Amino acid sequence: MIDIRNVSKRYGTVYALRDVSLSVEKGTVLGLLGQNGAGKTTLLNILTGYLAPTSGSVLLDGRDVLLEPEEARRQLGYLPEVPPLYDEMTVQEYLRYAAELRNVEKRSIPGHVDEVMELCGLTSMRHRLLSHLSKGYRQRAGFAQALCGDPEVLVLDEPTVGLDPKQIVEIRSLIMKMGKGRTIVFSSHILSEVQQLCDRVVILHDGVVKTSLNLKEQGAQENGNVTLLATVGAAEKSILPRVKALDGVVKAEVQPGRHVDQTTMLITFHGLTEPERRLFALLSGLNVPILHLSRQNGNLEQLFLRAISE
Amino acid sequence: MRTVYKRELAAYFRTPTGYVFIGIFLALSGLLFYLGNLRVLSGDLLTFLAQLRLLCMLLCPMLTMRLISEERQKKSDQLVMTAPVSLAAIVLGKYLAAAAVMLLTVLLLNVITFLIAVYGTLFTGEWFVGYFGFVLQSLAFVALDLFMSSFAKNQIIGAILGFAANFFLWLVDLLAGQISVAWIRDSLNFISLYQRYEAFQLGQFSFASTLFFLTFIAVCLVGTVRVLDARRFSEGGAA
Repeated sequence: MIDIRNVSKRYGTVYALRDVSLSVEKGTVLGLLGQNGAGKTTLLNILTGYLAPTSGSVLLDGRDVLLEPEEARRQLGYLPEVPPLYDEMTVQEYLRYAAELRNVEKRSIPGHVDEVMELCGLTSMRHRLLSHLSKGYRQRAGFAQALCGDPEVLVLDEPTVGLDPKQIVEIRSLIMKMGKGRTIVFSSHILSEVQQLCDRVVILHDGVVKTSLNLKEQGAQENGNVTLLATVGAAEKSILPRVKALDGVVKAEVQPGRHVDQTTMLITFHGLTEPERRLFALLSGLNVPILHLSRQNGNLEQLFLRAISE
Repeated sequence: MRTVYKRELAAYFRTPTGYVFIGIFLALSGLLFYLGNLRVLSGDLLTFLAQLRLLCMLLCPMLTMRLISEERQKKSDQLVMTAPVSLAAIVLGKYLAAAAVMLLTVLLLNVITFLIAVYGTLFTGEWFVGYFGFVLQSLAFVALDLFMSSFAKNQIIGAILGFAANFFLWLVDLLAGQISVAWIRDSLNFISLYQRYEAFQLGQFSFASTLFFLTFIAVCLVGTVRVLDARRFSEGGAA
């Protein structure tokens, strides 16, 4: 669906992107991960045809975004870093304008815009001026704009940045809802967000693609290892040896904690799909309460840190 | 193109820009009319229109300064530039919106024609040629200022570039008189909007001038498209 071929972007002598090649299949949710300044926004701006690459090309469904802009961009919705809003318009006017720009048939525009507003929770705000909206609603209006014309490809540049926790959850669930049957590329520097939403993740660093990883196949496991974070109601001395002796445990480390009668451990298991069962059996046998238990997604974090430190 | 045109035209009247432009243009032309015509009891429409050129030079940049620079600064151009619309359609839509405001202003200016018709003598042919020339000239200024503002990210700078270009084209005429090298003088005279307008000012319809103004507008619009296109290559977003 998306084919990025050897794209480089140079500003003067500085390379923002260096020979980036990437292809995204239809229906994939791709997360673009990278530090600030890694070239994420530049790549997305090139992908959508807002900027032109110094060399290389971008094909959307086989059509070049710069050479055949009208055909290629017909199936594209883009939410840039700053939502491209016109302050003097109301939400409804703005979305109707966006729908018209994307060649939605005149007669079906009002109905289509109503649907999009409903989906993004903007219906109650439809007659508000965009300049009077809060940051969260501005982001939603930007998102709604990207959905106008029902594009097959959605490109979202840090869609949750600067929002409060509730809004972040809302936008994420919106992305998940949209992800069904659509190809989505979004950038983020939040690892958990990428892990939660994406099928595939690409790590960009200094304008170079460092790693491309299929999260679905790989799951959270690397070499069959699963790491759990557990806090239990027992002193370190009494519980750590028992855990270490457990079948399948490769490593158990105690994390610093404030309570003497509680122990927080990072436990790595090998060759088990559900190590939680084994740990639970041990602890319930010892009559030790589990205060916290979660699976660690350290894999992506390690991968990310490794990628950017190279 | 229609979509962009409709939005831009609506934006002129959603924000104060359209009202301020039309209001100030008409108020100042009223003052000019009082000083040049009413005070001395003259019904000379052509001289009056010729003087209005100065107003065009001053006010047209106000009309065009937001069209491109504001969008760039607010990054709202990312919507239209990534939509399935060609650059030419975007530029034409924006130009036509500004041109429509200009035409509306010229239409309202006809209050003066009415005054002359009622209290003096109005020569229809003179009125037609005068207004026709004036409309062409003001649309040329709008196109030039749109082109100039496409170079700037900042609205104020866009406007200043517009003023500068307007004044340069005005001064070109005086400059040409000072230059003895024939080809430079000729080429300066060629681009002088003032000279092109002279025929209309004398009440003569000039086909050559009409063609010149239309070409001038087309060149400015094509130039704007080229500038926006080139920017895709030269510019970058934040990181």
